[in-house]
Amino acid sequence: MIEFHLDARSGVAPYRQLIHQVRQALRLGLLREGDQLPKVKDVVAGLAINPNTVLKAYRELEYEGLASARPGIGTFVTGTLDGGSLAAHGPLRRDLARWLARARRAGLDDESIEALFASTFRSANEEDIA
Amino acid sequence: MIWLTWRQFRVQAITAAAALASFAILLAATGPGLASRYAASGISGCHGFACGSVVNAFLSNLADPYPVVYLLGIGLILVAPAIIGIFWGAPLIARELETRTFTLAWNQTITRTQWLAAKLAMTGLAAVAVTEAISVIYAWWAAPISKAIGLGSTGGLPKLFSQGQFSSVIFATHGIAPLGYAAFAFTLATAAGALTRRTLPAMAITLATFAAAQIAMPLWVRPHLIPPSHTIAAIDAADLAYGNLAADVVPGQPGAWILSSQALDPAGQPVSAVPAACVGSGSSLPDQKGGATAITPAQCMQGRGYREAITYLPTSRYWPLQRIETGVFLALALVLAGSCFWQLRRRRS
Amino acid sequence: MSAVIETSRLGKRYRRRWALTDCALSIPAGHVVGLVGPNGAGKTTLLSLAVGLLAPDAGTIEVLGGTPGAGQAQLSRVGFLAQDAPVYPRLSVADHLKLGAHLNPGWDADLARRRVGRLDLDLRQKCGTLSGGQRAQLALTLAIAKRPDLLVLDEPVASLDPLARREFLADLMEAVAEQELSVVLSSHLVADLERVCDYLIVLVGSRVRVAGPVDELLATHHLLSGPRRDPGKLPDGLEVISASHTDVQTTLLVRTGDPVMDPAWTMSQVGLEDLVLAYMSRGAGRRRRDNPRHLEVRK
Repeated sequence: MIEFHLDARSGVAPYRQLIHQVRQALRLGLLREGDQLPKVKDVVAGLAINPNTVLKAYRELEYEGLASARPGIGTFVTGTLDGGSLAAHGPLRRDLARWLARARRAGLDDESIEALFASTFRSANEEDIA
Repeated sequence: MIWLTWRQFRVQAITAAAALASFAILLAATGPGLASRYAASGISGCHGFACGSVVNAFLSNLADPYPVVYLLGIGLILVAPAIIGIFWGAPLIARELETRTFTLAWNQTITRTQWLAAKLAMTGLAAVAVTEAISVIYAWWAAPISKAIGLGSTGGLPKLFSQGQFSSVIFATHGIAPLGYAAFAFTLATAAGALTRRTLPAMAITLATFAAAQIAMPLWVRPHLIPPSHTIAAIDAADLAYGNLAADVVPGQPGAWILSSQALDPAGQPVSAVPAACVGSGSSLPDQKGGATAITPAQCMQGRGYREAITYLPTSRYWPLQRIETGVFLALALVLAGSCFWQLRRRRS
Repeated sequence: MSAVIETSRLGKRYRRRWALTDCALSIPAGHVVGLVGPNGAGKTTLLSLAVGLLAPDAGTIEVLGGTPGAGQAQLSRVGFLAQDAPVYPRLSVADHLKLGAHLNPGWDADLARRRVGRLDLDLRQKCGTLSGGQRAQLALTLAIAKRPDLLVLDEPVASLDPLARREFLADLMEAVAEQELSVVLSSHLVADLERVCDYLIVLVGSRVRVAGPVDELLATHHLLSGPRRDPGKLPDGLEVISASHTDVQTTLLVRTGDPVMDPAWTMSQVGLEDLVLAYMSRGAGRRRRDNPRHLEVRK
């Protein structure tokens, strides 16, 4: 059974953090198909957060096809994440390394690189949603 | 609620029980002695005027501890209602408000009315019961003395008891009167607590008001509770040896309560002093033999047609008076208890 | 979902001062509602009205469809935890549980026993010697074990240390999850409420300034920053909650349903604490200065 934690200052909504941690656990193999997700009352007892937050996270996971709720019993993992092994993404990794080298040659420091990546990442996501 | 009332009341109940037990032990230790003295005095067999001297002998010869216990008992019954009132009644509502535990009590599944009714009824009944218990065991112990006093003489006991069983302190502490006082003091304290919302001011208000009532009742109220009887008696009812024109005893009505007495001249007008002609024991009346016999001022005034007008309550009115006085205080207690409910309903803060 | 608390023009007065004015609320069931505001704003008054310890001087209030405090049925459905969790000092922990059992037909003795066991409270200890956190937990046990539909708590964690505070809120949330309780709790610290509340009411100067689900409030309030504008030239259609100006920059906290299209403004998210503070200063400003056209406060 995995255990959740919350970073109150991360700026990320709590329910998103829970979803993220479930996905991470799936990726790392801590959670497998058929495992039960922690009960709502146990999660809130450990984190002192609103039960609706947990319910929202579990509902979203259900929507993404990763979990399914069985009334009266709990919520169980039903899907897997196609994380694959990072090694399988060799070409992507090399492209990224080349881009990083270019960014450094252009004079960007670490913070600027991260900021550039973050804003481009965000606007790319928003375009996807829109 | 009964459980909670008892649980909150436990310490006070145990204290009262201990006090009552100590008092009972004291009475049990001294009671038989008193009873045997009474038996030896021969009062129970006496008749008429002979009783006067026997009673006087009995009462004046009572050595310590009997007078002390007698007065202690009376004092205890006089103050018990007030003490019970301030320690049981004042905190009943006030302490819950002071310590804010009412937020706990009044949010259980019980209405304020139910809450107060249970507390008032249980604690009030206990207050009345304790006072009456003290009064009853004391009455048992003091029966010999009461009987002696009831015969109209006070022997060596203080002037406070000059009216026998109708004396102000004796009347309030015997019979069923203590019930009324206890109920009154308790509900007075509780209502004061509901009004001031604090225990200490409630205690102070209760003490002051109850003391005032204890003084006011015998002085101004009790004499008017029952229509008295009137009689015109011979002037020697007054103890003129001391120049006192007020009657000491109602002829033919031993133990009656004299509310007022007034000497009347032959024309029926009140007089306040012994007439000049009768002052001193030097007045005289000619007798048949042609000489003069020394007569008392009483005989002198009698001869001249002076009478004594007495307003009194006979002993037959003792129990009716007890019932009425108790009734007055019980009625007051009911009104005060009602005011507690009304205050709680109004008090929404 | 029916409303768990419904008020209409609710007002309460102490002598000449109105502690609560013109409150209109419709709080849905199934939420943990945070009531936040500065000291003296009227939070305790509102909560006392909700549980029937006070009666309104103006307007009406309905709790779970009934009049607060009226009768046993209503009293059994609402649990209350007053400020500083008063308990009977000379009664023991076990006595308090007995109190609950005797005075509540709906008492769940198992639940009470389990909670007390988990809290590690000594049943025989006199409650006058309990710590603040233990008292709060005991009072919470008493309120929860009578199985109410609504739980009202007045500044339950104000005087608790951080650990006790966390444990109290965790236990409260567990009870909410288990029993499907609705909860209304007040605090003058937003940080306490942020984790647990999904509905917020801001009470300042005896009035409700804003009320609504937290998600909705966060989605409809934005921080706009841009080049300095004259107060008269602010964009239309925006409800400005608070505004501050430097010589070159204007920052506004606005409430709006639609995104702001003007490219001159940079829009960013508002944290719950900043949102509440903005409403608090707006309310306080209104009280202190009568001029509604003041720079700092604008509607």
